[in-house]
Amino acid sequence: MHSIRQTFAHDTWVMPYLRKYKWLLMLVLFLGTMTFLSAAALMFNSGYLISEAARRPDSIIYIYVPVVLARAFGIARPVFRYSERLTSHNWVLRIVSDFRKKLYQAVEVKASAIKQTHQTGDILSILANDIDHIENLYLRTVFPIVIGWLLYLFIIIGIGVFSWPTALLMALLLGVIVVVMPLLSVAVNGAREFKQKQIQSQFYTNLTDEVLGLTDWVISGRYADFMALQKKPIKRIATLRRQDHYFQWWRGFAVQGCFLLAVVTLLVWSGTAFTATKGMANWVAAFALALFPIIEPFLEISQGASEWPVYRQSIERVNALSNDQPKQTPQSTLTGPVTEINVDHVTFSYPDDDRLILKNVSLKIKQGEKIALLGPSGAGKSTLLKLLLGDQTPTKGTVTINGTPINELQQQRAQLFGVLDQQPYLFNTTVMNNVRLGNLQATDEQVKTAIEAVELKPLIDSLPAGYETEVQESGTRFSGGERQRLSLARILLQDAPIIILDEPTVSLDPITERHLLDTVFKVLHDKTIIWVTHHLAGVDHVDQVRFLENGVFDLQGTPQALYRDEPRFRKLYALDAGRND
Amino acid sequence: MIDRRLFKIPGIMPRIVMIAFLTLIQAVMIVIQARALAIAVVQLWRLKPLTTIVTPTLVFAVSFLARHLLTVAQNRAFYPFVEKTSGKMRERLMTKLFRLGPSLVERTGTGNMVTMALEGIDKVQTYLMLIVIKIMDMGITPWVILLYIAFMQWKEAVFLLLIYPVIILFMIILGLAAKSKADRQYAGYQRLSNNFVDTLRGLGTLKQLGLSKRYAGNVYSVSEDYRKETMATLRIAMTSTFALDFFTTLSVAVVAVFLGFDLLAGKIMLLPALTILTLAPDYFLPVRNFANDYHATLNGKNALKAVLDVLETPETNNRKVLKQLTWHADSEIKFNDVAFTYEDVKTPTLTHISFAIHGFQKVGIIGASGSGKSTLINLIGGFLTPDQTGHISLNGQQLPHLSQEVWQRNSLYIPQSPYLFHATLRENVSFYKPNADEATVKAACDKAGLTDWIAELPQGLATMIGEGSRGVSGGQAQRIALARAFLDDSRKILLFDEPTAHLDIETEAALKQDMLPLMANRLVFFATHRLHWINQMDYVLVMDHGRLVEQGTPTELASHDGPYTKLRAEMGGLHALN
Repeated sequence: MHSIRQTFAHDTWVMPYLRKYKWLLMLVLFLGTMTFLSAAALMFNSGYLISEAARRPDSIIYIYVPVVLARAFGIARPVFRYSERLTSHNWVLRIVSDFRKKLYQAVEVKASAIKQTHQTGDILSILANDIDHIENLYLRTVFPIVIGWLLYLFIIIGIGVFSWPTALLMALLLGVIVVVMPLLSVAVNGAREFKQKQIQSQFYTNLTDEVLGLTDWVISGRYADFMALQKKPIKRIATLRRQDHYFQWWRGFAVQGCFLLAVVTLLVWSGTAFTATKGMANWVAAFALALFPIIEPFLEISQGASEWPVYRQSIERVNALSNDQPKQTPQSTLTGPVTEINVDHVTFSYPDDDRLILKNVSLKIKQGEKIALLGPSGAGKSTLLKLLLGDQTPTKGTVTINGTPINELQQQRAQLFGVLDQQPYLFNTTVMNNVRLGNLQATDEQVKTAIEAVELKPLIDSLPAGYETEVQESGTRFSGGERQRLSLARILLQDAPIIILDEPTVSLDPITERHLLDTVFKVLHDKTIIWVTHHLAGVDHVDQVRFLENGVFDLQGTPQALYRDEPRFRKLYALDAGRND
Repeated sequence: MIDRRLFKIPGIMPRIVMIAFLTLIQAVMIVIQARALAIAVVQLWRLKPLTTIVTPTLVFAVSFLARHLLTVAQNRAFYPFVEKTSGKMRERLMTKLFRLGPSLVERTGTGNMVTMALEGIDKVQTYLMLIVIKIMDMGITPWVILLYIAFMQWKEAVFLLLIYPVIILFMIILGLAAKSKADRQYAGYQRLSNNFVDTLRGLGTLKQLGLSKRYAGNVYSVSEDYRKETMATLRIAMTSTFALDFFTTLSVAVVAVFLGFDLLAGKIMLLPALTILTLAPDYFLPVRNFANDYHATLNGKNALKAVLDVLETPETNNRKVLKQLTWHADSEIKFNDVAFTYEDVKTPTLTHISFAIHGFQKVGIIGASGSGKSTLINLIGGFLTPDQTGHISLNGQQLPHLSQEVWQRNSLYIPQSPYLFHATLRENVSFYKPNADEATVKAACDKAGLTDWIAELPQGLATMIGEGSRGVSGGQAQRIALARAFLDDSRKILLFDEPTAHLDIETEAALKQDMLPLMANRLVFFATHRLHWINQMDYVLVMDHGRLVEQGTPTELASHDGPYTKLRAEMGGLHALN
């Protein structure tokens, strides 16, 4: 109970939606309860019907009402069940739409425009899974438990009308099923489930590790080690799962045992309470049979409860996400053209790491200037880009455009910056729509002009569907160079004055790379360009080269001057040209 | 519903017989339970004292408990077998994975492979558990009950018998109608959830374009469209459940009414009537249970099929043709008109590949992207096998392919991004020689230029690296791969596939200095488009569209105007800066 309260203490994912759609929720619960009440009523009514009929009353009129009721209940149960399932699924799917949007918004605020790592990708899939989990929380845990409890209440009150002591005894017996067993399940299974999750994730890591490193395993010839690696987690999971199953089976048996006691109690009670007259004795069969259909929802309660620990993690994870939102800076607007970007004595370190990524770095970029940034990975290139875009704020110093701090210009970001990165994202829609994302107001003609400028016209024309060709998932239809060109076309439409190139050619071969760079610098000749690159191909296109190493600029100058004056630069340039020996 | 290969699982038949036997006893218990309860109720109905129901109530209680105990017994009896079977299946899957190597993973995808070994096998376990017990239940219980009812009252029995196929028929008709739509829907769901994850991944791009805020509405409306579509399908899918529910519940009601009229007419006594009424729901219970677990069963069946399909994939044979190998200065490897075609592709990726390389030559493989460099390296490494056997020979011995255990134990493969295991740095470095001592590992790390970096690490060689742990830059990862190679001096054949293309130029330059000593006294195949490496090669293979268009020493090739000179001009066309 304590853990449940803790989970929901700062909850913004479950409770608000229960409130938002409370009427639909009531309807679901009502329909669910009615389903099983109808089933119970059918057996109750049938028991009475045949008992009364067995007395062979003079006229059919005596059993007419039960006959009609039998049919009514017989039809009511499936109808209620059908509508309950439709309503509950509809309800849950509606919530899921809200969830998706909410998750998207929560992630959106934090997303950076620069280099998403693989790990963030994994976290995103986990979060998407969490939403599915919460969906199941409702369908498999919340609804069955609440409906079960409502039924429990009905039965106790129903019997209580006739006899309080019996009602009390029944409350106790059935209480074991609807309260004690679920709590026991959470306690026993909760710990086990948690352990199982841990081992499973370890197993998952091992296995992924093995599959990804399979080439090395095969070459190493270490078959025995390969097999041994997952043996232990498999064995432990198997043990836990076996215990889990055994617990479930015996729990099921225990529930049936309690249920048996409840049936016998009812039988004995009706045997004493309804045996005054023959007419009253007809109720005995009714009470004896009525309880049987209730067992099904009662069994579901414990099962639903034992799944709680899985859902709990998901709820906590999504809640942690949305309760941890960065604060907003007041925004201002930039009017007039960009004249200067100024990185002024910037020092930066990430909040939970005292390592300085950038140390007192200054950089002035004039309108139309093109600069190349080089340096080993981890030297701070990506961080510098994030600071330029305002995704990060300097620990010391300022980053300004025309004197206005960049973090106050976030609303104008898309008007100021165009970004071409390593793996531009293409959406699962047509070529035309993908390129138009750069400027939603662009006409078809403008889109086509942009595509022609990036030299893709011949290719697109050769496709059967032309500009209406669907870009398959993640743009797999097009090669790396073509994808870069498509996003370059997008940037042309976006028409921002500052362009950031974040290693756009790293996964391309040298021929494709050279052609792409030629195009990029041709079509963007009037823009300010900040280009992070991993080697020197195409460096002659820029006005300024800067080497970033250990958080400071160590080499800088025009490519021509560097080539003339710096032996180190000359050596690297020769290496890139394939001339070094 | 049932994969026939199910019955071929060793040892399954005796278990099925046992389950059948237990189910039969259980069915008898159900009948006894109903009968005993009916007797007790009838006694009370006749206004007999409570003492008269003691015996029937006890019989009811015992048979009721026995019935549910038998359920536990069935599960307990069958589960160990299922656990063992699925455990073995997982083991065989892993063995298969090791035997088939990366080519299997390439075909099925890393994610799919992992999911298959984890959740796939779990689903198979659930499936095995469900299918045998539920089918036995459906095949035995209703008929025992029906037989008993028929003894008492043939009319109701006939009604129950007739309604059964009607239920099944309706389930099939509606099930089929829903299925085609549901399958499409399921595909749609997959697409949506992939799409959702992809949208989250594409968030960076959306942000760059200033569309990220606005896209939230899109996320919502796509999801809502999906909801409406899903509900349309669910309506049909649930109609089949509804039909089942409707017929079974109404049948019970109809039986009750029938019995009522018969009783009224004096054609039957209360006791048999009450027994039949109690038994009627149990008659339908097995088919309802089966329908409830339909989806779990279907998933399980598909999982079983996928697993069995992988297990039945033929393995590369003749992996031990090469008995032993020590690569010397005069050893020779020869390709004679080798061709390779990928599965599901009509045209061969490589054709007419012939070369002879001997001793510790350093062989550069160059060509534009898509020319077949990587495929050739994979053939040499034995990760792929050529279309025809007998076109490759080592020291004069003809081999079917190079997927020879001995050859692989002598070779080392360093790709663009060497895989780092989620383990300590030491374990990663000593991957090929797990028993190497500390000093040797350190010496290897030193040769690979890792010493300074290791000194910075919090736990030195014991630091955990790999996915989810400490990030390792591309340059360091290459150095770790080098250290692996330095550590295992017995592996004399080195295969490089574009090891430095993604590194920044300075890291590459530094790495090159440490890589060159490793290549001494080793046979090296080096696929690259970084041309400066050619200066260190003794021999060059020039690839173009799957063909080996030119080969020779760099000096020879540079001396005339052929594919090599052309490729160099195209690739290395850096503009002069002076």
